[in-house]
Amino acid sequence: MRLTVDRTTIEARDGDSLLEALLRAGLHPTGGGCLCLAGDCPHCLATVDGVSYVRTCQVAARAGQLVERDHLGGAAPPLWRDAEDLLDARPRETPVRHLHCDVVVIGQGEAGVAAADEARAAGQRVITLDAGAGQEAIGVYPGPRVVARTDEATWHVHPRGEIVIATGAAEIQPVAPGSGLEGLLTARAAERLAAASFDLGRVVAVGTPPAGVAAVQLEGEIVRFCGEQRLEAVIVRGRDGVEHRHSCDTVSLGLGLHPRDALSRMGRGLSVRAVGDAARESNIPPRPRDGIVCPCSRVTVADLDSVWQRGFRELELVKRATLAGTGACQGAACLPHLRSFVRDRGHELQPAFTARPVTRQLTLGEVAAGQHHRATPRTALHDEHTALGAQMDRAGGWWRPWTYGDPMFEYGAEYRAVREAVSLGDVSTLGKFEVAGPDALPLLELLYPTQVSTLRPGHCRYVLLLDERGYVLDDGMILCHDPRRYSLTLTSGGASFAELWIRDWAESRGFDVRLLDQTMALGAINVTGPRAAELLGRAGVNGVTGLPGFACHLAGEVAGVACRILRLSFTGELSYELHHPARDSVALWRRLLELGRDLGIRPHGFQTLLDLRLEKGHIVIGKDTDFDSTPRRLGHEWAVRLAKPEFVGRQAVLRTNRIDLDRKLCGFEMAGPPPDEGALIWSRGRYAGTVTSSAASHVLGKTVLLGWLDLEDGELPAEVVINGHEARRVATPFYDPDGKRARAEVSLSPLLAPPRFDPLPTGSAVAGCNRFSRLEATRIVAVPAALDRLALGPSELGFRLAPDELLLVPSNAHVAIDDPHAIVELDTGFAGAWVAIDEALSFLERACSWPIPTARPAFAQGAVAGLPVKLWLETDRVLFVVPAPFAADFEARLR
Amino acid sequence: MNELVERRVHLEWRDPKSSYDVVIVGGGGHGLATAYYLATRHGITNVGVFERGYIGSGNSGRNTTVIRANYGIPEAVRFYQRSVDLYRTLEAETERELMHRQKGLLWLAHSETGIRAERARATVNTAFGAHTEYVEPFQIAKICPQLDLDGGGVWPVLGGTYHPAAATARHDRVVWAYAEGAMRRGVDVHQRIAVTGLVRDGERVVGIETATGRVAAGLVLAAVGGHATTLATMAGVRLPIRTHPLQAFVTGHYQLQFEPMVSSGDLLFYISQTARGEMLLGAEIDRQPSYSYRSGHEFLSSCAFRAITLLPFLRDLKVLRQWTGICDMSPDYSPILGETGVPGFCVTTGWGTWGFKAIPAGGEQMAQLIATGETPELIRPFALDRFARDRTMADRGSAGTH
Repeated sequence: MRLTVDRTTIEARDGDSLLEALLRAGLHPTGGGCLCLAGDCPHCLATVDGVSYVRTCQVAARAGQLVERDHLGGAAPPLWRDAEDLLDARPRETPVRHLHCDVVVIGQGEAGVAAADEARAAGQRVITLDAGAGQEAIGVYPGPRVVARTDEATWHVHPRGEIVIATGAAEIQPVAPGSGLEGLLTARAAERLAAASFDLGRVVAVGTPPAGVAAVQLEGEIVRFCGEQRLEAVIVRGRDGVEHRHSCDTVSLGLGLHPRDALSRMGRGLSVRAVGDAARESNIPPRPRDGIVCPCSRVTVADLDSVWQRGFRELELVKRATLAGTGACQGAACLPHLRSFVRDRGHELQPAFTARPVTRQLTLGEVAAGQHHRATPRTALHDEHTALGAQMDRAGGWWRPWTYGDPMFEYGAEYRAVREAVSLGDVSTLGKFEVAGPDALPLLELLYPTQVSTLRPGHCRYVLLLDERGYVLDDGMILCHDPRRYSLTLTSGGASFAELWIRDWAESRGFDVRLLDQTMALGAINVTGPRAAELLGRAGVNGVTGLPGFACHLAGEVAGVACRILRLSFTGELSYELHHPARDSVALWRRLLELGRDLGIRPHGFQTLLDLRLEKGHIVIGKDTDFDSTPRRLGHEWAVRLAKPEFVGRQAVLRTNRIDLDRKLCGFEMAGPPPDEGALIWSRGRYAGTVTSSAASHVLGKTVLLGWLDLEDGELPAEVVINGHEARRVATPFYDPDGKRARAEVSLSPLLAPPRFDPLPTGSAVAGCNRFSRLEATRIVAVPAALDRLALGPSELGFRLAPDELLLVPSNAHVAIDDPHAIVELDTGFAGAWVAIDEALSFLERACSWPIPTARPAFAQGAVAGLPVKLWLETDRVLFVVPAPFAADFEARLR
Repeated sequence: MNELVERRVHLEWRDPKSSYDVVIVGGGGHGLATAYYLATRHGITNVGVFERGYIGSGNSGRNTTVIRANYGIPEAVRFYQRSVDLYRTLEAETERELMHRQKGLLWLAHSETGIRAERARATVNTAFGAHTEYVEPFQIAKICPQLDLDGGGVWPVLGGTYHPAAATARHDRVVWAYAEGAMRRGVDVHQRIAVTGLVRDGERVVGIETATGRVAAGLVLAAVGGHATTLATMAGVRLPIRTHPLQAFVTGHYQLQFEPMVSSGDLLFYISQTARGEMLLGAEIDRQPSYSYRSGHEFLSSCAFRAITLLPFLRDLKVLRQWTGICDMSPDYSPILGETGVPGFCVTTGWGTWGFKAIPAGGEQMAQLIATGETPELIRPFALDRFARDRTMADRGSAGTH
């Protein structure tokens, strides 16, 4: 077979390693240095098919290989070879394979084979990794997990029990002038090459002789290797102290062994056991006298001496001052000599320095195997937005429509639709949470600084969530159903943290509550604008006598979709938020757009929403707040009831309220263009704060802003300068300060007779998916014992998501559950797909790091391909269940 | 001649004395820089630095050597800019080669929210003395032509900031230059001596206990990483610090072809090429607090994946080594340095992911405080009592990665 080296073609034999092929062609990969043929030394490195730092002794020669000797003389290879390929973003597919076993044995020499046999005899499942067979273990990690590189994939081996290190020992490299010549071999390398019928010429041997190689044995200490490029002779100082020159073509060096113990050293604290030569003590060679000690970093004995004499007097400092041991072989070549040097100068043998992954090198592409991008969830309306020409952007952790259509032209139209007619906003990204049980009220009283007990059924209230330091974590709404049942909303970006926060407090206080996250299960559409009620009247609200009043909520059917209707306002206009099963979002959205066409309806994007709420002075957590914002600094003291005996953050608020206020979030107005967020606020020539939100208000004809303002001598300055323009501090809201528009009386009784709508689609498609469709399920949160007792119907599947939580597929609204406080809700927030068992298991071996149950049927859940997945495994097929907002991403990964 | 071998620094070790005017606990960058500035700026040389390992063995030798001042609040921008300036002249001042290279830092944004944050960063930086400008994708392409601005079709680069003064230096050499400079002027630096306790006279801290005996001190400065809370507890001082691991990795050595530093706020990684040619990558702190130096595979794998997304050429480079440092995080992501309310006991801590870049300014200012007894203006905002006084220094600009 033929391969190319530095643009010339060479012949290679079948079964040769690449190094052997190069040597047969008379080419030393790095131009010289003692070869070990065992993957330890840095002397056989080359660039192979565009990848540098390949140990050619560990790679089989293959026809068509492109080899470049970029490492000649210790040179550094280029970062990239071809500027044309620089931006070639096509992924090189490196799969990952997850393998599970009881014991993993690394190394398949004598000791490794024995250890594997022993474990198998004891009935354990064993996986062996053999570098000789192209399975290079590169690191031992907590888990435990052993990562290995193979040509086919990056293996992740997960042993339940022991990791046996049977990596053997490496041969000690020579340190003497001329050690960088061609013609130096370790004794084992000489044996191997001789066995592969290499002509080694005249061979002399120092130390342990190579078996089966005709060699002149020399006694004594090597003084130097002589020659220009190739070895011509070796000078040895005999026992008599006299130097003798021996002409030769090859010198075989049997200078002792040191354990390949890097994996053991990095595995400290894990269940790691070294056996065989890997467990031996290192031979410490005689102190190095002259020449290169560390071939990777080209460090000489003189360099070591130089730093030692200047005070770098321990192994770590010698290493750091010379960089010996920090190159491609990570000390494999130099460590015994460094320890010998330090023992000689410091009279103390110091332990080997810490080993860090990785022991054998692999490419970034190979380590990245099995990774995926952090998926950004999509609401059920994602495809509706893109069909309407929306520019989608990531905000608050979700894909959201930033603007619809041409941002310059359409922007004003979105805004006007809200202020003058009616508009829809997709607010499905809001965190949505259900709390039920005898302790629901005590929990909320603890969590929220407002007096929750005064919130009556059917009412809702804006609330802040504080941490123990009294800083604002999040904000949202509380909806009271009855004193034992509430719904909460949380901000889009803060919901996942807030959920942990709520669960944490509930658990640490031992409250008797049921908690359900419905963020994914419920869609939410904000119908806003002076004609919002008119639109809802057209859509028909069934099951209720009217629309909810301000700060109220009720359940009803809108346009044929079961909704929870909340009346509140973020935009400043009459607004109804419709929370509904995610399954029905598209139908509801389309019907409302259709019904509102002649009312001038159009949807508004997130950018418009930011401006609308700014005109009302409403804050956005994380944008207008900092992570040390107290209610007082935000001017939100009205949202805190200090008279309550206890709530999280109360002590801190009481304490900080006694201290003079230093800065406050204020409203400003100015002429001129809106300054960028982050623009500086100046007062009498001094820095006084920064702008957090700004917009040119269409309706007010001026620029309005929110920003942080420092107090001067206990007073907030009234006049400031922003971007060179005068700005005036003013009270918020800027727009409709009395809230007449948001709180407008609605006289829409009786409601119009509802039009007929087609039946809602079921088993509906999920945005961007072919294989996955929405599941119709019932989500139950109840005391574990009640769930244990639950009898399922013959066609029902019950997935126990948590001790107190069950997902029932298909949905069954009449499920009998023996817990009066149970939360039983329709949940269409999941998507599912059946996959044939072979395809599923092959995918899971690549995408799932935890062991799949072997029983059938079985339920399992955890991260798969970087997403939260639930599995129902039957004999011949597997049901994959993922939150619908991630279904499109998961489907793309399910390949 | 191998220029990567340290050729000039001479460390002079002496036996510990039984008493020092100033005892500094921790022989890392901050402790040694403080000793250096005490000696060079204030003529205070009866100073003993006690290090339980070897000098620079903690986080001074485990960081990713980024020097920058593009923080998010005026107080931090001023402070770090002082450090950037001191770093720039440190080689000349110490006459030592620190491998200091000005590289420029690109900070990339991938969403409208990210763009707004970067514009805000440029504004506050420029107003308070650190030069940072907002850059459009076409300018980014010129500064770093290796970037795939399409972000692999997943994370397109929509804008960013460029901070030309950002630099790197070799971390160990900074430690040694300060150690040598201090030692040469009479400061004692002691390795392998762990401080096991503090000596109190009433409330006042008057010395330290070590395995080799008691050492009296006019003042004790805690300049330790990780276990600062433990040491402060001995003085009766409660520090609001949580310690988190931060991981990094390097590739093998390649030709010097990659000029700037690049950071992505959304993809949460940053990268530069070291003076010896390694590509150096880091990410965000581990969420779980820990003192562990153990490296994880998930970090390596996921950081590599994210980096390849923007810099596809990285795909074929070989990973050489990964490691872990630990970060003392304060609640407001700003450092804590200065007096503690306990006489005779000062701290310099809370150095989170910004400790290395702060070494010169942190050392200079602490030295001034110790020498004069007055807290300098530059670090007054970062005093420990800010938490009690409700004057926290919340800094989003530092809450990220490096």
